[in-house]
Amino acid sequence: MKRSKSGLLMLGIVVVLYAVLFFLKPDVTLKALDESLGVLKMIVPILLIVFFLMALLNTFIDEKAISKHLGEESGAKGWLLALLGGILSHGPGYIWYPLLQNLREQGAKDGLIIAFIYARAIKIPWLPLMVTYFGWAFTLVYTFYVVLGAYVQGMIVERSDTRERGA
Amino acid sequence: MQSKLKSTFEQTLKTLLMISPMLLAVIGLIGLFKAFITPEMLRTLFNGSVLHDMLVGTGFGGISVGQPFLSYIIGGELLEDGASFYGVTAFILAFVTLGVVQLPLEFSIFGLRFTLLRNLLSLLFTFLLSWAIAFTLGVLS
Repeated sequence: MKRSKSGLLMLGIVVVLYAVLFFLKPDVTLKALDESLGVLKMIVPILLIVFFLMALLNTFIDEKAISKHLGEESGAKGWLLALLGGILSHGPGYIWYPLLQNLREQGAKDGLIIAFIYARAIKIPWLPLMVTYFGWAFTLVYTFYVVLGAYVQGMIVERSDTRERGA
Repeated sequence: MQSKLKSTFEQTLKTLLMISPMLLAVIGLIGLFKAFITPEMLRTLFNGSVLHDMLVGTGFGGISVGQPFLSYIIGGELLEDGASFYGVTAFILAFVTLGVVQLPLEFSIFGLRFTLLRNLLSLLFTFLLSWAIAFTLGVLS
């Protein structure tokens, strides 16, 4: 509800901005409106695909199932689950924070949590949009490096944790 | 399964309705941006060295908030206006992995050490990965 309110507030500000700018520079403001409509027309079909994908993910991926296995110290399997979980998780990041903190308190490794959070930089439902704007090559290279980056960051944290415990 | 699918679609529709004001607001801003900010202005902002572009991208991405797809839309427009892949990739990465606005929340849930560690690593990797991604793309093409 809070997010919806901030969205309406933002929309209100933009409408006022348009009104003020129309008063000052009507021709450029009309051009801005035209540009916005162009962007909207391009976005709407992709938006529909995205929400279809999101609904599918919501139906078939159980959040509790991801969290249960992320908590286990399962070596390579743990890493795989952390990375996959991050990639498949959806919604704003802060929704996941309480759950992740809960996992940490239950003994989940910080490295896995860090990897999970970073892997969230890949948004499967939004991939069609990324391909539309940046092309397949960029999307594949981006996805590869984000997964690699998430893993390396997790390893860095795990190494430093191990060293601390050893000292 | 069918009822679950139906409720999920309803929930998704609700999400769509919930984000639509913000989406329209941002699209409106993009229109203003495109009409009032000329490519020349942007080029002066982004058209520095690789390091300069990445710094500007990271800074903008880190302070921006919103759904990740917004960063793709804005990044795509920046690219069209002549920004480099180095800067645009840094912007997209910083947008999803860094959040100045949500820092207090993150700190209150995870504590200082974890929050600091996560954000410093994300900052470092925004630079490393955006360079690696743009460099790899350059080699591929």
